[in-house]
Amino acid sequence: MWKTTLRSVGAHKRRLLATCLAVMFGVAFLSATLVVGDTMTAGFSDIFAESNAGTDAVVRSANEVGDEDIVERGLVDAGLADQIAQVDGVAAVAPEIQSTGRIVGADGDPLGGNGPPTFAGNWITDERLNPFHLVAGRAPAAPGEAVIDKAAATEGDLKVGDTTTIRVPEPVEVTIVGLAGFGGADSAGPTTYAAFTTDWATQLLMPEAGKATSIRVAAEPGVSQDDLVRRLDPVLPHGVESLTGHQLTAEMEDNIQGDFLGFFSNALLVFAGVSLVVATFSIYNTFSILVAQRTRESALLRALGASRGQVLRSITVEALAVGIVASAIGIVAGIGLAAGMLAAFDAIGMSLPAHALVVGTGSVVTAASVGVVVTLLAAVVPAVRASRTAPLAALRAVAVDRSASSWWRAGAGLAVTGAGAAAVVAGVSGDGNFPLTGLGALLSLVGMVLLGPVVARPAAAVLGAPGAATRGVTGSLARRNAMRNPRRTAGTASALMVGVAVVALFTVVAASIKESMRDTIAAQFDGDLVISDSSFSIVPLSADLAPAIAELPEVDETSALANAPVRADGQDMIATTFEPATFDRMIDLGVTGGGSMADVGPDEVAVTQSYADAHHLSLGDPLPLTFPDGASAEPAVGAIYDHGELMGDVLLPSALFQPHTSTKGDLVVMITLADGVTAAQAEPAIQAVADRYGAPDVQTGAEYVEAAAGQVDQILNLVYGLLVLAIIIALMGIANTLSLSIHERSRELGLLRAVGQTRRQLRSLVRGEAATVALFGTLGGVGLGIFLGWAMVDTLSSEGFTSFAIPTGPLAVVMVIGALVGVVAAVRPARRAARMDVLEAIATD
Amino acid sequence: MTQRAGIFTVADMTANDVYSPEADIWGGVQLAPAVRAEMATKVYGGGATAVRALDAVSLAIPARRFTAIMGPSGSGKSTLMHCMAGLDDLTSGRVYVGEVDLGTLSDKELTRLRRDRIGFVFQAYNLLPMLTARENITLPLDLAGRKADRGWLGRVIDTVGLGDRLKHRPSELSGGQQQRVAVARALASRPEVIFADEPTGNLDSRSGGEILAFMRAAVDEMGQTIVMVTHDPNAAAHADEVVFLADGRIVDVMAAPTADTVLEHMKALGS
Repeated sequence: MWKTTLRSVGAHKRRLLATCLAVMFGVAFLSATLVVGDTMTAGFSDIFAESNAGTDAVVRSANEVGDEDIVERGLVDAGLADQIAQVDGVAAVAPEIQSTGRIVGADGDPLGGNGPPTFAGNWITDERLNPFHLVAGRAPAAPGEAVIDKAAATEGDLKVGDTTTIRVPEPVEVTIVGLAGFGGADSAGPTTYAAFTTDWATQLLMPEAGKATSIRVAAEPGVSQDDLVRRLDPVLPHGVESLTGHQLTAEMEDNIQGDFLGFFSNALLVFAGVSLVVATFSIYNTFSILVAQRTRESALLRALGASRGQVLRSITVEALAVGIVASAIGIVAGIGLAAGMLAAFDAIGMSLPAHALVVGTGSVVTAASVGVVVTLLAAVVPAVRASRTAPLAALRAVAVDRSASSWWRAGAGLAVTGAGAAAVVAGVSGDGNFPLTGLGALLSLVGMVLLGPVVARPAAAVLGAPGAATRGVTGSLARRNAMRNPRRTAGTASALMVGVAVVALFTVVAASIKESMRDTIAAQFDGDLVISDSSFSIVPLSADLAPAIAELPEVDETSALANAPVRADGQDMIATTFEPATFDRMIDLGVTGGGSMADVGPDEVAVTQSYADAHHLSLGDPLPLTFPDGASAEPAVGAIYDHGELMGDVLLPSALFQPHTSTKGDLVVMITLADGVTAAQAEPAIQAVADRYGAPDVQTGAEYVEAAAGQVDQILNLVYGLLVLAIIIALMGIANTLSLSIHERSRELGLLRAVGQTRRQLRSLVRGEAATVALFGTLGGVGLGIFLGWAMVDTLSSEGFTSFAIPTGPLAVVMVIGALVGVVAAVRPARRAARMDVLEAIATD
Repeated sequence: MTQRAGIFTVADMTANDVYSPEADIWGGVQLAPAVRAEMATKVYGGGATAVRALDAVSLAIPARRFTAIMGPSGSGKSTLMHCMAGLDDLTSGRVYVGEVDLGTLSDKELTRLRRDRIGFVFQAYNLLPMLTARENITLPLDLAGRKADRGWLGRVIDTVGLGDRLKHRPSELSGGQQQRVAVARALASRPEVIFADEPTGNLDSRSGGEILAFMRAAVDEMGQTIVMVTHDPNAAAHADEVVFLADGRIVDVMAAPTADTVLEHMKALGS
């Protein structure tokens, strides 16, 4: 039996090759994802370890508030360093000031940004505690002098002795007196770094004198990090904590895993999953056809005395062989793909720390097992079917597939699809139950796959009709070929359906996000112009910008917004600060209680109705707040508003928050113009002021929305890029099925050629069938994608999704591409069919 | 294409007769062959293993006649038919369908020729399973994008005698009915010649007899030209003439054959 199995693998090389490719692509993507994740983690770990190399302990505020990537920790008294220096076992101590600042290059453009932080701080003179070291020039010795990292200097065409601007966020003029290296590299990964004297850094970056971000401590030889922390603890005041350098490194790794890398890896894994699901369909389909074509062979084996188990094992072993070989190749290809992906991320400006590829045993084992298991699962069903072949079937011609449209299948398919849709609708209604919606989505997909063979015939009939009407008998034959084996048509289409459904889902969700932003801005923004940094830079706008613009004669008023990381009612969150006096002129949040936002006093807050409901608050009730500096307050609710999409659930007056934060600057500056002044007239003057502060372009509300929508499109394009692989796998599945079908029907095609079908007509026939099948899958996918998109948008309506949009243009493009995929997939099989020797094809064995 | 009435029959010639193109004369008799082969030679393979499937065969198929080609397996009868039908090319020599030299045609032109001027009936698997009987009959016309000649098509369909089964698919027809549909398809485009490759090979004798009678009627009543390759003396007996092939050469020709005379002849040839 083993020999027979191996022979069988050999005999179906060509067809199995295509199956191998499907598994291979899926596994390659999966392993690439894992390798990229590991490599990036290793890259970040290296940087963190290097930054904390000489630091045995860090003393810092125990208070940290905020959520996700916007958090703020309180400051410590720099004077604490003197007390720490007295502690036995301390070799060196230095207050560290760390904030953000953007270095402007020689050409006037700011360096870095787009994700990685741009640091500014004090130059720690003790080499042990400073992860940077001078590679040129000297340390800063006076205000107005700065050291920058060598990579930034190279990128910005800056050298020692040059003067430039650093935005902290107020632009300050500096002379570059030295260049710094980080470990063996020119910079700390993709970040930029600028350092000043401690005094000047305090003045520029700290809210008041005598404050520092943290205090770095080095231990004397023989004193362990844990020892050091134990010795430090007694001298630390309340609200200040110490942790070892190792703990700090581990914490930094956890943080980057938690927000950036975690999200990134998970997103990639989702796409790898989609590719694998698509691959599963392709594998399933190929094995089904191979098994069908071998019905006689299996039956002969059965007739000769092979048991059902032996036939089953034979096919299972074949699948195992395919799975193992394909997974092995896939993993190797995946490692190459990982290198390509990292290079691509770098090319699109997503700066990541460089690191040699990390190929972990875990990644290899995971990718290999997933590949093998997926192949086996996809092969088992056809294998079971093959093992059921009655010995006598050897004497009969291959039966026509009738099981496809059984009542059982129709019933089960409808029931599962219905249950899935019901779960989705139930999940959507009310507050939005995301797990239920997700389960429903999965059920809908399974139901549609079950229903596929039932609908394939009528669907192919309808979709093939235009071709049949316009392309004569060729079109009509193509249509009927697509209809004749519904299970195969559905299987082929399912692979494409899954891929297209995900594409459509993202297209719909992205369109809805953009539509929601447009609607929200149109409904709520009453100002004339807005300045907001739409890049991912975390350096805010200078706090002086809004007042400077307000001075202009063209401008009536300005109103600024800023992030406010706080702990509200025991829950870490990102609130927003606002300026009550001018806010109402700019934004209409639909205030329902407490008059207007202008009435919110300096010791009051405004919250959304939904937040008030969730936290049992009404007007005048106190909301317990903890600020970044550790101070607490219980401001009363001064206003309740409806729309939280734009500003979030909690708004704090600037005056309430500003004294308790070390970050300066605004996120958004909104502008209303003086009477009779148009936006076009005012923009040049406003832009001139903005340029002085290094602020980005002045935009109208509509321009602002389009800029934000542009970012959504960028992410969407990245998603499309990742889904291309799934579509390629589906394409190969279609090509494979076609090749197998053509092989099966060679006699028929030979007959057609004999009675006068031209090669061109034959190619057109194969293409037509492929296009019909592809269109079927695409339509199913687009339908499913729209439905799931609606479900997702509705479920997340509380997160700012106010509008559900079906982008007809992009979806039409998706559909055309879907049909084209079919035509492209058909190119090779069609060519092969057309080349077929007529005599050989019609030879009756 | 003008078709001259054939007054010459294959029966008039012997295996050693030579065709003379200048005079368009064969054995001194004026002829109007539907298809003719001149020194047709087909060699498979090369070197020591070369097989001469056809060895300088010259033959004219008279129009409006039913010609059977017989011979033992490996005699080259199928190869001869395939070469005359433009399904296969010759190693040397020429084949003419009407006035057209097949050797000068491109693949595309050959396909057109097959579609418009030649009909085929194979031993089995003649029909496309997803088309109805009627659609199978009109397939060559549909491929050509031509409108069927209503009168002709009606006559063909009447002769097939399938009546209400025309809307059925091949899987719902008996083997004999399927072959009748195949012959009707070959007739539908009113070709100059129909090639039938063992059309009764897969049928029981009663169904086979029906098909042969049907082909006979097509020649006698509809003026068609049919060339049939067979190894069944009973089938050959329905033909006007029988050409015997052995080892790639024409070894004999028999007019007005009966099953017995053909069988005897075959025995004499040692098959």
